[in-house]
Amino acid sequence: MREDHSRSMSVSPSVSEARLASVLGTAVDGIVVMDDAARIILFNKACETLFGYAAEEVRGKNVKMLMPLDYAREHDGYLSHYLDTGEKRIIGIGREVHGRHRDGTEFPIELSVGEAATPEGRQFIGILRDLRPRKAVERRLADAQAQLVSMTRISALDEMGAAIAHELNQPLTAIMLYLQAARRKAAVDGADDGKLVEIVDKGVREAERASQIIQRMRRFVEKRDPERRSVSMASLIRECLELVMLGDANAEVKISAEIPDDLPDISADPVQIQQVLVNLVRNALEAVRDAQKRIVRIGASTQGGDMIVRVSDSGGGVPPEVVPNLFRAFSGAKRRGLGLGLTISRSIAQNHGGDLWVDPMGEDGGAVFVLRLPIDASGAAESPTPADSATKGPSE
Amino acid sequence: MREKDAGHVRSVRRGAVRATGVFPMTVHIIEDDPGVGDSLAMLLGQIGHRALVYPDAESFFEAAPPEAGDTVIVDLGLPGLSGVQLIRWVNGLKHPPKVIAITGQSSRNIMEMLGDEQPAILLRKPLTEELLVSHL
Repeated sequence: MREDHSRSMSVSPSVSEARLASVLGTAVDGIVVMDDAARIILFNKACETLFGYAAEEVRGKNVKMLMPLDYAREHDGYLSHYLDTGEKRIIGIGREVHGRHRDGTEFPIELSVGEAATPEGRQFIGILRDLRPRKAVERRLADAQAQLVSMTRISALDEMGAAIAHELNQPLTAIMLYLQAARRKAAVDGADDGKLVEIVDKGVREAERASQIIQRMRRFVEKRDPERRSVSMASLIRECLELVMLGDANAEVKISAEIPDDLPDISADPVQIQQVLVNLVRNALEAVRDAQKRIVRIGASTQGGDMIVRVSDSGGGVPPEVVPNLFRAFSGAKRRGLGLGLTISRSIAQNHGGDLWVDPMGEDGGAVFVLRLPIDASGAAESPTPADSATKGPSE
Repeated sequence: MREKDAGHVRSVRRGAVRATGVFPMTVHIIEDDPGVGDSLAMLLGQIGHRALVYPDAESFFEAAPPEAGDTVIVDLGLPGLSGVQLIRWVNGLKHPPKVIAITGQSSRNIMEMLGDEQPAILLRKPLTEELLVSHL
């Protein structure tokens, strides 16, 4: 069963051996070869970096020196179990385990193990991939997503407050005026014994109470001015696309950005503008999801003292009956969410002295959302900036 | 913001009035929200004025122009032609009537929307009889 490995073959250097040495030396992954007694035979360059040992230091030593202590304790047992029973637990399967650096640091690795019957006996080849970079990327993505979600929530609360205050004001105004008209009527007719006026007065007081709540809410919301600073729209757009691509499987969608090199910075609240961009691009992606042609384009340009950002899709456009209410709170026909995205986005744009509107049917066979933001937030009529003469990107 | 408007409170023109009564006048209301427009008209009617309601600036322009003694109450957030444009037009009349702008917008939005064109009287919703009557 076990191969005779007393027969040691002295191999003369050959082409294939030189080739092998070169492969081992240049491999990005760690490669370890051990014999059936778990002694290290080969330890490549990548392993030296990974574990902090030189090849000479580990050669002939038990491979468990590279493992966390609790696992190392079990390793000999695992090996003899396999040698006795032939039951494969890791060979040809590969799994995520931990390695232990010379300094004691443990780190995640993906380990795949192969087996070879050689003239020198049974040998096991381990290929180790450091998982730390991948973990770091995964963590960064998760952080970015969480941040996006939380910033959307915070801002949504603010903006929802403003939207509700605005929408409730109308019926509340009507209620108040109707009640006051009724009170006058009752007083004038003189048919009332005072009871009706009292009841109506109480109604008016309640309506006033509701209106005070709204005014408080409105003051609270308005207190928070956008935190403006000079930001690069080009990088906001790029970051937005990165963020959006993380979320869904948008692989089949052709997303392109058209950003002129000399796009000026604008004075804006980067978090809020980012939110608007993400919202618009996500909407566009959603619009093209079931479309034949899946194109989403985002383009930036300057026009007068304004920055114009256009997000267009090939999703078939906005139905005419939807257009009038598109930007109103809670009117969205979406299955997910509150349908506040566009309401919030427009109010952010307006708070910046800009605006957001839609061309229901644009050049790509879908909607084009146009975000206009003043480049200089002071809002005053400013002298033309050099960028004005170089209006680029998609034409209006 | 709102306090600024207080400076524009017109002196009360007439002395003692009857229970219902004020000097009757025609009030043109341009308001796209039907509830607000109707309730406003009803209240003004109770006060003794003649109220005409238009859902947008366009229909207001089609009707007979307001006269010097009239009052125009205009919502700033109109669909189509904006309240600001309407006010500009009214102020350009030979004998412009009094204009009261009303709005449910935030003060910041109002600033952005109006710029230097602040109307003399700007009331924020929700409106009350008290607030309104003091400006008529």
